Amino acid sequence: MKNFLKSILFLIILAVLVEGISFLFIPGNNIKKYGLYKVSAYDILAEDTDTIDVIAVGDSLIYSSLSPMVIWNQLGYTVFDCAEPAQIIPDTLDYLKVAIESQHPKIILMEANVLFRDPSKKKTETIITKRIKNRIPIIKYHDNWKKYISYGSKKNWINYYKGYKFITKVKPSKPKKYMSGSKKSREIPKGNIEYFEQILELCKENNTKLVLVSFPTQLTWSSKKHNAIQQLSEKYELEFVDLNLVDLGINWETDTKDSGGHLNYLGAKKVSEYIGTYLQNTNLLQDHRDEKKYASWHKAYQMYLKKYQKTLNKN
Amino acid sequence: MEKLIEILENLQPDVDYLTTEDLIDGRYLDSLTILSLVAEIEEEFDVEIPTVEIIPSNFNSAKKIYELIERLKEE
Amino acid sequence: MNYFDLTYAFLFLPIVIIIYNIMPKKIRPAILLLASFLFFFMISKFLIIFLLLSIVSIYMGARKMGSLDKKKNELLEVASKEDKKEIKDAYRKKKKSILILVILFNITFLFVFKYLKFFTVNANFLLDCMKVGWRFQILKLIAPIGISFYTLQALSYVIDVYNEKIEADKNFLRVALFLSFFPQIMEGPIARYSETAKSLYERVRVNYHNLCFGYQRILYGFFKKFVIADRLNVVVGKVFENYTCYSGAAIACAIIAYTIMLYMEFSGTMDVVIGTGEIFNVKLPENFRQPFFAKNISEFWTRWHISLGAWFKDYIFYPVSLSKPMKKLTIKARKTLGNHFGPLISGAVALFAVWFLNGLWHGAGWTFLFYGLYQFTLILGGNLLEPFIKTVCIKLKINRQNLVYRILQSVKMTMFVFIGELFFRAPTLAVGFGMLKRLFTKFQLSAITNGELFSLGMDKKDVLIVFLALVFIFIISLLREKKINIRESISKKNVFIRWFIYYAFILAIIIFGAYGPGYIPVDPIYADF
Repeated sequence: MKNFLKSILFLIILAVLVEGISFLFIPGNNIKKYGLYKVSAYDILAEDTDTIDVIAVGDSLIYSSLSPMVIWNQLGYTVFDCAEPAQIIPDTLDYLKVAIESQHPKIILMEANVLFRDPSKKKTETIITKRIKNRIPIIKYHDNWKKYISYGSKKNWINYYKGYKFITKVKPSKPKKYMSGSKKSREIPKGNIEYFEQILELCKENNTKLVLVSFPTQLTWSSKKHNAIQQLSEKYELEFVDLNLVDLGINWETDTKDSGGHLNYLGAKKVSEYIGTYLQNTNLLQDHRDEKKYASWHKAYQMYLKKYQKTLNKN
Repeated sequence: MEKLIEILENLQPDVDYLTTEDLIDGRYLDSLTILSLVAEIEEEFDVEIPTVEIIPSNFNSAKKIYELIERLKEE
Repeated sequence: MNYFDLTYAFLFLPIVIIIYNIMPKKIRPAILLLASFLFFFMISKFLIIFLLLSIVSIYMGARKMGSLDKKKNELLEVASKEDKKEIKDAYRKKKKSILILVILFNITFLFVFKYLKFFTVNANFLLDCMKVGWRFQILKLIAPIGISFYTLQALSYVIDVYNEKIEADKNFLRVALFLSFFPQIMEGPIARYSETAKSLYERVRVNYHNLCFGYQRILYGFFKKFVIADRLNVVVGKVFENYTCYSGAAIACAIIAYTIMLYMEFSGTMDVVIGTGEIFNVKLPENFRQPFFAKNISEFWTRWHISLGAWFKDYIFYPVSLSKPMKKLTIKARKTLGNHFGPLISGAVALFAVWFLNGLWHGAGWTFLFYGLYQFTLILGGNLLEPFIKTVCIKLKINRQNLVYRILQSVKMTMFVFIGELFFRAPTLAVGFGMLKRLFTKFQLSAITNGELFSLGMDKKDVLIVFLALVFIFIISLLREKKINIRESISKKNVFIRWFIYYAFILAIIIFGAYGPGYIPVDPIYADF
């Protein structure tokens, strides 16, 4: 019995320690306002209120393809990637709800592939790991000890990827004709449409333009999926940008990290430049480059550039 | 016994065979040395050491080896 | 599931422990067996049938041999001296045919799952060369998890029964548990029946002391894997996949990183495995004994993957080198070549068999065969050179027990190990040699200054952490080598110090573990063998 109580005490102290130490590792700024829990799960909450113009939501295709810093440098728009691996649409909705608490984006780019993912088939294990990660922020932010060494104090940490993941790996593929031109269309799981309508509703309430985008991938996209999303976008009168049908000049020998599945930093640059031009043509956004409020974005870009050039020189 | 110690010292001189009791477990004798040892013993003492008997507990000290030889002689 | 999944240590294991403890003593072994089957099933699904077939085959084979022994002994008691030898021979023959049957039965599965593909691919290559229009069909098979490990364990059981080292077990449950105990099933250690079967069946409750010590050991394994091995994995993967893009210095780093990673991953797994055994009061044999303190390759292999080496020594090396024709050869050779080189001939033949099979055991592929032959050459070469080195040392008055000499020996040995493990990891022999060539021809010291080394996936901070963690492991290894038991001495400290150490250790793993974005965890390396 004594030993049993001792074990319990040990675990309680451990839990307190882990919880306490988490504070040291999560990025600064908005913790008080929005609570620890949310900050740990959603990077965007560390951004200043009402500074983000465009939010991109979706799965890994977002964070591997869309680099906000490229667009910032090109046009001065602020984009933020709110993405996680194999995102399911209920999570997309949650993510947007949280993001909209502190931001009023003019445009939301929604990654179309999410619509085909059946939420009921998501592995229980991934769900559990996600929960644990959200509960115990240190699991997600443990690597920030490096920032302590670099910057000393927490106040100066700058998230210079803005949700994007800088992927340097190259694993070549070949140019393939994966868009067969088929006339058939792939079925969207029924429940997903309901969630999609809720997302639409949310956008309307906030006066935000929703755009469906599909990012270049040889493995997960097809003509059948294109047709399904095309029909959907016509039904709801939305714009749909299928980058798999646009010639972006992607070189599949060098621009992919996993033989055509996702793009690496080279591919992401091409995609981001295209998306930048698209955003410009909407005439909804302003250039913030001369605004004082956005000074940290310039700093972030310098850090991003350093990383980019270093990688480029090496390869 | 003396003959045995002599054989052992011939094979691997850096060990005090009268006191060491972990010849195998302490890695004083490696498997190739064991081969020579078995050959020597079989010749000198006119016994046959079957593979089954080649286990650490039979070879960990000179005394143990000697006991093994005695036992095999009786069989 | 693998042993480093958090669900193993913090979900599966606790559940098994709780059920095990609340169940009456009688059915506890059945609980362990059920847990083991469940564990196996979660990984390999219905391939569990092959594990069951192995269990049944060795159980029945051993029982049959046991009953033959019994009959033989009954006959021997009443037999006259002349008949005794005849009876012995007759029964030996009968037993031998059973033994061979069981061995073949088990080896067949191993062959089909692991080697069929290699042989058909190479046979097809030959057929193509001979311009035969016909080819074998290549079957794609997924092997049951741990088949290489449990098959060796199964063979050791029947061979030991055959040799009358142990008695055939009448208890089916115990044999089944011996072969399928869940912590061991994936990556060993390859235990002998005499080592674990008894304690597996002792049925004692999991107590506080064992629980603490077991989990301590598991955490130590986590530290090795998450802080060190996973951090090195990115560098290793990058360079081995595209070695032509990197300078010799980067390749050298990757080769060293791979050996460290392999050691940390495998010995870390063993910490989890042996720690789990400890919780259930089962003393599983150690698989590592500070291998890098060895003075030569031969000794290295008695300290690295010990249970595999011991298996090959007992069931291949001695039976081959001490077989009748070999013995004759040894005696003859000794007369002409002397005491050192004489036995080396039969030794070399047996050693070759051991390393050929050892290479093959790790996988069907030319790299593994080369790896085996490389080790064989080094060990044999070392033995051939030994008398020469001895004389040189005596002439130059070098004391071979001297610390400097010992350190130099270990450094030299470590270099050999690095090169061996390079081929172990290289996808093909050509890549292995290509990397070696580049290592020497494209070696630029500028790699250190131009930042190439820090662009491989580890920044300076990562390097620092790996360095500090390795120093920590080194100190613990040194203490172990000197037979100082740190775990006991920590457990004697008062509760504040003790808990402080534990908390610091756990937090270090959480903070400095290489998991999350940017890191790629190492897959269990030995589970594929």
